[in-house]
Amino acid sequence: MTERTWIVFLLALLVWAFVFYGLDRAIMEGQGLPVGADLMPR
Amino acid sequence: MTPGPIRPAFRAGIVMASLVLVAAAATGLLPDPAAAAADQGMNAATAGAPHVARGDYPTIAGMSSRTTVWALAQMHLFLAAFVLAVPLFSLATEFMGKVTDDGRYDSMAHEFMKITMAAYSFTALAGGALALALFLFYPPLMGYLLRVFRGQVLIYALLFGLESVTLYIYYYSWKALRYGNRKWVHMSIGLLLNAVGLTLMFVANGWATFMMSPAGVDTTGAITGTVWEATRNPLWNPLNLHRFLANIAYGGAIVGAYAAYMFLAEKDPARRAHYDWMGYTSNFIAILGFLPLPFAGYWLMAEIYSYSQQMGITAMGGVLAWLFIIQAVLIGTIMLAANYYLWSGLMRTDRGRKYVPYVKYVGVVIIGGFLVWVTPHTLILTPSEVQVLGGTNHKLLGPLGIMPAKNTAVNLMLVFTFLSFQMFYRSSRIPTSRFAPAGNAIIYALYIVGCLNIVGAGIYGYITPTVYKVGASVPQVVSTLVIIVGSVIIDIFRLRGAETTTIHWGRMSPRSQYALFVLPVAFTWLMGLMGYIRSSLRTYWHVYTVMRDNSAEAYIPTIGQAGNVITLITLGFMAVMVFVFWLSRLGETRQAAPEPRPPARTATETAR
Repeated sequence: MTERTWIVFLLALLVWAFVFYGLDRAIMEGQGLPVGADLMPR
Repeated sequence: MTPGPIRPAFRAGIVMASLVLVAAAATGLLPDPAAAAADQGMNAATAGAPHVARGDYPTIAGMSSRTTVWALAQMHLFLAAFVLAVPLFSLATEFMGKVTDDGRYDSMAHEFMKITMAAYSFTALAGGALALALFLFYPPLMGYLLRVFRGQVLIYALLFGLESVTLYIYYYSWKALRYGNRKWVHMSIGLLLNAVGLTLMFVANGWATFMMSPAGVDTTGAITGTVWEATRNPLWNPLNLHRFLANIAYGGAIVGAYAAYMFLAEKDPARRAHYDWMGYTSNFIAILGFLPLPFAGYWLMAEIYSYSQQMGITAMGGVLAWLFIIQAVLIGTIMLAANYYLWSGLMRTDRGRKYVPYVKYVGVVIIGGFLVWVTPHTLILTPSEVQVLGGTNHKLLGPLGIMPAKNTAVNLMLVFTFLSFQMFYRSSRIPTSRFAPAGNAIIYALYIVGCLNIVGAGIYGYITPTVYKVGASVPQVVSTLVIIVGSVIIDIFRLRGAETTTIHWGRMSPRSQYALFVLPVAFTWLMGLMGYIRSSLRTYWHVYTVMRDNSAEAYIPTIGQAGNVITLITLGFMAVMVFVFWLSRLGETRQAAPEPRPPARTATETAR
């Protein structure tokens, strides 16, 4: 891969990580399961 | 007109007429609890479900009522799933042929329908036999169901008639309505056929799911709602979706086996190329239907739990849970066979060799996922083994037996099966756009992050309470879909204007074709197995919690007995399919015209 492609790859990793994190959070909260409260001691 | 086309239609008509007669006879002649209640001054609607004693179930020549009905119902379902699914993707293929103006698609769609036609009369016969068996062996239940669903039964019969008519018109008008605007007329007939077929399935699903999650009746079974309310019971839509997708996967697998049969039988290279292409397309359809199937199954199971926790626990926490391990083996077999076929397909293109080194990594994921899926949580052990192990759960393998591990495994298997498709697709295209390297990097990143997200959500399920464990499966599904859809979209842009290389259809090993035979066998077995589980969930109820089953066979059969019955039904169905394939091939076989006889010699010539 060229240098430019590597940069695109690293940027894409960041963007996809952001996308998936956002999706995960939205889906869990959409199910009434707020992320963060799940690990609190019961 | 040859007599061939008339016969199946005529047979289906006879079966349908018999069905209507049986339904009418049953409503009029069989001991109807509603009529008995009416005699006692009660309204038929307010009478509850009948309370039947063991003596109310007829016994005929020592036959097992349940096994007879089970075998016929399963056989009818296999055939119906096939004949309902094929017109769906046949229409899609025909549409593709029209849009791309490629006659090969049209010929393939027509050939898909040819196989369906041969199977259609068998479907009607199995359905008629099932109806007769139900009325013979379970008259009180059928009387009650007819009382709940009333006129809908006749609507079903009418729909069946309409389906037969549209099916025959769709098939036999193919050549008459082939070009121009007539093609659109033909596809409209196909659309009508599919609409009727799906409605037919939805109606039958309403009856099956009413027996599991009754609605529109009170706790005694007295009718309190409309027919629509009884139909639209809690499990109706989950089963509708599940069967719709499963039918497509099943239909694809069966026509794939037909293509493999023809591929192996053909000697002409052009014909072999055609059947190779048909096999590839059928496999693609089967996998396309199969990819979302676990999610539909998950929804169905979640709704079962939601309707009755007891029913859910019977399915996945009791004796039936072991069948989910067999299910995992069969699904793993399907995945391995489908992937093996796709990997073999890389030999069709000259650039396919480039992708071969990656196959082993895909193989590791598929086999690894398969092994995780078949790992049970609790083992069946002897007391000494329990002592050595320190419990029934293995400390390393035990955690792989719960749902977060299974969900992770199945999602990764689906993603990597899609990757096998993508490798073949790419092997015949050389990208020329400037975006290609960057697009490739974006797709790599998508796969890496998406798979990490699937694994991460699986681990998250281990460290959170159960409700989060279940909830975390949804992001896993969404991740799988984002990877698949996202990489398809990026690839479209990446391969815009790409140079296409020749695909040598027909350049496939005979061994690869056997993978196409494995698919329908595993699918059939799987459907039989899961059908047995779904039906067993009612335990000793005809209609769950409403009408008790007091027959001698009101118990869940042992896994061994069920396995034997399911295997026999599967073998029976495959025998029917082989006969159908043979019939289709026979239809194309032409006898060579006899050599013209030399003119008879005259008496004068003979004398010389």
